[in-house]
Amino acid sequence: MTAWHLDDDALRRYVERTDSLAEGASAEQHLLSCEPCRARVTAAASVIERSVIDFAAVWDRTRDAVEVPRPSVFERLLRGAGLPAPEARLVAVASAFRSVWLVGVAAVLTFAALAAALGHARGVWLFLAVAPVVPCLVVASSYDPWMDPALEPELVTPYPALRLILLRTIAVLALALPAVLLFGLVVPGETAFAWLLPAVGFVAVVLAASTWISPLRAAIAVSTVWLAAVWLLAARSGSPESVLQARVQAGFLALAAASFSIFLIRRRQLRQLRPWR
Amino acid sequence: MVTASISLRDVGRTFGATRALAGVDLDLKPGVTGLLGPNGAGKTTLLRLLATALPPSQGQVRVLGLDPEVPAERTGIRRQLGYQPQEVGFPRGFTAFAFVDYIALLKEWSQPAARHAEVRRVLDLVGLSDLGSKRIRAMSGGQRRRVSLAQALLGSPPVLILDEPTTGVDPEQRVTLRTVLAELARTSIVVLSTHQTEDVAALCERVIVLDRGRVRYDGPVTDLTGQAAGRVWLADEPDPAAKVSWRTGTGRYRNIGTRVRDDVEHAEPSLEDAYLLLGGGSPEPETAEEVAS
Repeated sequence: MTAWHLDDDALRRYVERTDSLAEGASAEQHLLSCEPCRARVTAAASVIERSVIDFAAVWDRTRDAVEVPRPSVFERLLRGAGLPAPEARLVAVASAFRSVWLVGVAAVLTFAALAAALGHARGVWLFLAVAPVVPCLVVASSYDPWMDPALEPELVTPYPALRLILLRTIAVLALALPAVLLFGLVVPGETAFAWLLPAVGFVAVVLAASTWISPLRAAIAVSTVWLAAVWLLAARSGSPESVLQARVQAGFLALAAASFSIFLIRRRQLRQLRPWR
Repeated sequence: MVTASISLRDVGRTFGATRALAGVDLDLKPGVTGLLGPNGAGKTTLLRLLATALPPSQGQVRVLGLDPEVPAERTGIRRQLGYQPQEVGFPRGFTAFAFVDYIALLKEWSQPAARHAEVRRVLDLVGLSDLGSKRIRAMSGGQRRRVSLAQALLGSPPVLILDEPTTGVDPEQRVTLRTVLAELARTSIVVLSTHQTEDVAALCERVIVLDRGRVRYDGPVTDLTGQAAGRVWLADEPDPAAKVSWRTGTGRYRNIGTRVRDDVEHAEPSLEDAYLLLGGGSPEPETAEEVAS
């Protein structure tokens, strides 16, 4: 034991390896015989160690800033609407949220709404033909294997397919329905809302049909049938009001309920690799 | 301790009239098992069955004692599974980090710090630590292949199913990947299909050769290689008695025959020789029997 001890500066330089060769040799000679100074060195070294760990954390944060993708506009919207961050990311990845796709949909709706706003009966029929099929096409594109290039690795994860599809469907509808309603405001009369129940029915049909065939094929089939039906109705009666009859609207509601029930019953058939790929 | 295992009993799979797999019986334990076979032999179908991406048309599959036909048990399998498909598409605009992070979310890594650390770990393992922020579309084929392998390695799963993991990957990276897989195989079941016999020879203890949906060989790699002993020889000209022969870099011909020869200059047989001898690499057209069912 000795009365002399390493002062704080010398000890710090020794621990940080910033001392000179002679100073280091002197410190080591002293530490061989001084228990209190060895304890101080151990304590100081652990502080240095902790600062290294903190440095690693800083490095991780730096890498996060560079590597972690920034949330897209839609992802931020979904998070703003209360969806937890992980699920907002899973939903926003869908092709349906791609800007190009949405711009295309908006362009078609604008054209149909403008045609209707011009006041011609054919314009109103055009809007009635287009508006209900937009939501079902957008929903189908949100989980169709053809538009989901990473289906196979996604498929074998434990995340429930039903939950993913329903989340994407709800998110897409939350975006599409108000948009179509907005376009509908320029359409004269009550026809502006006549498309709503058919749209809900068609979305449910696509969900149910996608337990047998690809969602996009189902949506295209539903759209084709609807366009043909509208064309026939327009050719016969010439009045879009016929779609607004309570009996017709109730029919679409029943179609939606029945289709959604089938979808839930057959949910295990969702998102499987099939010969269509 | 219960050893992790996979078992298949009389497993078959048909697509319409085409039979992709028939009567497959297998038991797999921790270690690396290589799957060899010509195109159309059923390798990808078998891997998809093991990965719960496809149900079998017949027979029984058990992965870690769980039945993939039961939804809750299938989810249980998927929690312990890593799968690299033969072809992986990537969502438009994704970086390597974003893609692996996305799959990690689907694999229930909801805590961001832990998830990001795991994503970095697997990108490091496949040698992409510096390319995490690079867009996948701007990557080479080999780099994309490594991104798809990285997502399969998330969480060091007890079951790892890899469909041609080294296709397009440069030799240096292949050696690195072999090391990674060998380390993981100490505790995990690793099944990989490949056309690279040297990968199987370097990495696998066991090899399964599939041919037209049926298991043609199942056993140690060394035993399969041993089957070619005495049947591989060098000559200055292609030998008409050989089943296969080709000109080597030295200008001499390497011949492989079905009979053991004594009157020739023997060469050390390789796994590739044995595989070719077995008939691998020479797919035959589907017979009526295959297409009938």
